[in-house]
Amino acid sequence: MAVTTTPAFELESISMHYGYLKVLDDVTVRVAPGEVLALLGDNGAGKSTLLKVMSGAHRPSSGTIRVQGNEHDFHSPRRASEAGVEMVYQDLALVDAMDISFNLMLGRERMSKGLRGLLGFIDRRAMRREAQLELDALGIRTAPVTRPVEMLSSGQRQIVAIARAAARLHDGGVLLMDEPTAALGHEQTELVEELIGAMAAKGIAVVIVTHNLPLVMNVADRIVVLNRGRKVADIETSRTDTDRVVSWIIGASVQGDLAR
Amino acid sequence: MTVTIKSPSVHHETPPQRLPGRVRALVLVRDQGLAVLLVLLVALFSAWASPYFFTTSTGISILNAAAITAIFAAGLGVGVMTGVLDLSVPGTAVLAAVVMAKLLTNGMPVAVAILAGVAVGLVVGVVNGLIAIRGLDPLIVTIAMLAIASGLALIVAGGYDIGGLSQLEFLGTHHYLGIPAPVWVTLALYGVLTVFLRYTRGGYRLLAVGGNAEGARRVGIRISLYRVLGFTISALCAAVGGIVSAAYVQIGSPSASVGTIFSALTAVALAGVPFTGGRGTLSRVLLGAIVLSTISTGLLLANVQTYWSSVATGVLLLGAVALNMWTTRTTLRLLLVSTSTRKAA
Repeated sequence: MAVTTTPAFELESISMHYGYLKVLDDVTVRVAPGEVLALLGDNGAGKSTLLKVMSGAHRPSSGTIRVQGNEHDFHSPRRASEAGVEMVYQDLALVDAMDISFNLMLGRERMSKGLRGLLGFIDRRAMRREAQLELDALGIRTAPVTRPVEMLSSGQRQIVAIARAAARLHDGGVLLMDEPTAALGHEQTELVEELIGAMAAKGIAVVIVTHNLPLVMNVADRIVVLNRGRKVADIETSRTDTDRVVSWIIGASVQGDLAR
Repeated sequence: MTVTIKSPSVHHETPPQRLPGRVRALVLVRDQGLAVLLVLLVALFSAWASPYFFTTSTGISILNAAAITAIFAAGLGVGVMTGVLDLSVPGTAVLAAVVMAKLLTNGMPVAVAILAGVAVGLVVGVVNGLIAIRGLDPLIVTIAMLAIASGLALIVAGGYDIGGLSQLEFLGTHHYLGIPAPVWVTLALYGVLTVFLRYTRGGYRLLAVGGNAEGARRVGIRISLYRVLGFTISALCAAVGGIVSAAYVQIGSPSASVGTIFSALTAVALAGVPFTGGRGTLSRVLLGAIVLSTISTGLLLANVQTYWSSVATGVLLLGAVALNMWTTRTTLRLLLVSTSTRKAA
């Protein structure tokens, strides 16, 4: 990826204190458009906190957040979403009884035209059509859009949740994912890997928080490792290997490896 | 760097466009079981209580008996789908009826009195909702409201029934095209609510909030608004139910009968509306209310002691819930098996 492009998403010198406890210490992370960044670290390393700062759930004690070069102050997940940063949560937050199209369009329903629309009627067919287009754009052919979400496998549900977040992004948005493959088997993980690749190919900047190292090695362009609230590694995936990543995570060989 | 999109396909195989046959059969049982049960009951009583049961007049009286229960059940059903169980329904009903009756005996026009009764429902519902969204348990809020509303009803009425409401005959015992007024009210109410739930954004979001409030909140839906709306619809239906009951007997009675809420809840449960919220079909709630009144009328005409209808209802309810659970679990198991075998192949 060319170095001169404006990062899609930029967190500069983020620090976060809970009282005397320093959870994040001067962390800087940049994600380019179309780049897949894996955020790694042991439990308590600060990666969940950093993710919450990114998604607007937490406000950092200090530091700057920029989306497409514009500075933002995320007061809430809603503000982050408006700025073009969407989050796929681990618990998916789908409505089981509704079908795929309605889950995809939840919160941005298409109203009927004319008087019916003014009365609050929705255009169900337009919603189905639009949902289908959005899935097609991501190359998802997992199940008919009229299938209720409760009748999907866990992998299909994960894909619907990711697609919902991706569909809400404008051009060159940022997608945050918390353990996207936590509950999935091998085959289903492959489907999610493909989807992540497809989204990156569309220019979406993707940030993944996970413990799944094979996933990281397969899909991530770059790896950032946190340890005790500090960034201890920031390196292209092709220039490293699993053993070194593990040693950064557990804090074995920090010296000399810090690459910016 | 050039980005080539290699026509990404997230699933390697074309997925089956239809669900497996056995799954569709189970879904059919889950969705249409109640209609089948009603047909069976009608056939049973037609033979058992012949020649009294299978007549037009019996049919109409069954519908009429179902009407009041169905009106309360509509409100409770929408409440349950939104994720709230509104126990204040009997209190709201009597308060609305008594306020209307009081205005009528003071010489107010019928339309004004009825609108005042409906307004009582509106106020109770909004208050219930506004309290509950502060984080108080809806069950406790509505139990408190049950006490408050039925107390207020007794105060307004001075502790006595307000009788002689003959102006309300048009809404109670009068027949239009051979169908009693309460049945028309019920049909209108179900029509409006069904259209609302199925075809409008409000109804769609209401169900989404009931199904997964956190998920709805994350996509930017104002969930408090919809929870208040759920309480309000419930209380409005309760008020309509109270008004129609009062019109039927032409008496505004201030004593809340808690039994009404249980038969209404039975209809909701028979309809397979899970109390966890987020789903359910209103037309089936109506069917549930009709099944209940078919049982009590049928047993009556078959000369069975009426107490048995309560026993039969309870047994039926357990059976319906068990069937519902079985179909849901089996459906899921079949789907998971079919997915994994496809993967293995």
